Amino acid sequence: MEILEAQSTASSQPIEHRFNPYSDNGGTILGIAGEDYALIAGDTRHTTGYSINSRYEPKVFDVGDNLVVSANGFAADGNALVDAIKNRVEWYHHAHNKPLKVQSLARQIQHLLYRKRFFPYYVHTILAGLDDEGKGAIYSYDPVGSYEREQCRAGGAAASLIMPFLDNQVYFKNQFDPATQQYRVRSYLPIDDAIKIVRDAFSSATERHIHVGDGLEVLIVTKAGIEKRYFPLKRD
Amino acid sequence: MDILIGITTKDSVLIATSKSVARGVSVIKTNDDKTRELTDHSLLAFSGESGDTTNFAEYIQANIRLYGTRNGFEMSNKAIASFTRNELASALRSRKPYQVNILIGGYDVKKKKATLNWIDYLAANVELPYAAHGYAQYYVLSLLDRHHDPNMTQEQGLELLKDCIKELRLRMPIDFKGVQVKVVDEAGVRKLPEDF
Amino acid sequence: MAGGAADCQFWETWLNTQCRLHELRNKERISVAAASKILANLTYSYKGAGLSMGTMICGYTKREGPAIFYVDSDGERLQGDLFCVGSGQTFAYGVLDKNYKWELTVEEALDLGKRSILAATHRDAYSGGSVNLYHVTEQGWVYHGNYDVGTELWDAKDREQSFNHIVTSIPS
Repeated sequence: MEILEAQSTASSQPIEHRFNPYSDNGGTILGIAGEDYALIAGDTRHTTGYSINSRYEPKVFDVGDNLVVSANGFAADGNALVDAIKNRVEWYHHAHNKPLKVQSLARQIQHLLYRKRFFPYYVHTILAGLDDEGKGAIYSYDPVGSYEREQCRAGGAAASLIMPFLDNQVYFKNQFDPATQQYRVRSYLPIDDAIKIVRDAFSSATERHIHVGDGLEVLIVTKAGIEKRYFPLKRD
Repeated sequence: MDILIGITTKDSVLIATSKSVARGVSVIKTNDDKTRELTDHSLLAFSGESGDTTNFAEYIQANIRLYGTRNGFEMSNKAIASFTRNELASALRSRKPYQVNILIGGYDVKKKKATLNWIDYLAANVELPYAAHGYAQYYVLSLLDRHHDPNMTQEQGLELLKDCIKELRLRMPIDFKGVQVKVVDEAGVRKLPEDF
Repeated sequence: MAGGAADCQFWETWLNTQCRLHELRNKERISVAAASKILANLTYSYKGAGLSMGTMICGYTKREGPAIFYVDSDGERLQGDLFCVGSGQTFAYGVLDKNYKWELTVEEALDLGKRSILAATHRDAYSGGSVNLYHVTEQGWVYHGNYDVGTELWDAKDREQSFNHIVTSIPS
């Protein structure tokens, strides 16, 4: 007792300790929708601070019903969210005995995220699938469930590096042709072009962002099913 | 926050400053003049930390006048703005910076041109056709973006200024006791008798 | 809607459901006053929790005529015929107050609305992108298009000889 008192008087300043429930596991993701496909790509590096925990930790998932999801940011929350989504898809089958549509899962994900409005999942979420017409669909979310359907979206650590590149290469933003005095009009990208853009985006992000690298895993949704492809990235 | 608005017209600059001085919960003056004349054709308007404002303005005024009497000719408005900016920048890097925002309205008699310089306490200096400081900015800049014309007459400029004051009276949550308007043109600096 | 994107999106879709339920239960469209009060009661019940919303509920009913209600996350609810909401509200008010009058035609009102938002996007860093226009009538709402601010600003500058602080060449 006396020892304890001696210690407490020695350090006169009280120290406040507070548990921080969040961390950042780096990584970046990107989704592109085409005429008859949609894809989500994500690097496979998993970090905390300056340490690399794993060079192959997949974060893009097939959740069933030809739908692909990735939740990037705080990996524990990301995994928890993807598990919750898989669970929703499964229970939708039990309740309705039919496949879950992409727009329905999109709304489901908003509710899953907003349910935790006051203790959020610390993630940027992207959903990919095919809509009723068989066209590629990408839905993107903020941590508390604000969402929008788009043609493409980058999320995670290097989103600010990749998104302007995508604006230019997918939406053809600011592509002005002085010869015709016309801006290039937006159109669907063929899958091969999309893959090239994805690989360029990730190799560039790897070059300039320390939390991005090691490997690139792409999940492509077509009416034939989900194809998984892997490309190596720089491991420094 | 005090109101400072400056508008250039074809051949003059209009400077409007709010007339109230408030300390805590009380308005302690309702006819304050937040301007100082630097030369016959240059007017400095100021707002910010009390004490700093008048001290800084009068320090600048004294220096500009000293320059005039020493050299037998007045400093150009561009030089006045640069000098003022430089004083603020030096103060900013000292132990006790001046927290003063400034507008300088000037008229060049030889070039027959009116100028307005916007300077903030961080010593950013920009020459603009119209400018404002403080919360007034948020209301009047869009209005000026829409209605300002660099070739407008002094009368048109005053009408535009009245629109700005009308908007501030309508939307500002505190009573700033009206504004004082001064004009800088070929004839020099003068206070308008009108009650704005 | 302005403020937290998710808060606005979530609770306004929720408000839409409540309005639809009212319609099914009462065989009649909900009044603007009632609709806005549903949202205001909701935001008030969450007061202090940290929601961030600034909204306007605009409608036209036989009973009320044209009506606008301002509802925010403090739980405040106000009726009026002119509101601007959001981080750029003051800039929009600047243009709107000068040019607004009750006698405005629909086309003039749409133009003034668009011009006011343009003013806000120009001066407020958090506003921008494009402007959406809606006209609410007794028959329902009419969408009047999406206007990209990038082209709209140069159009306005040319047409009105305004935005005179923007220089398009290096001054001599």
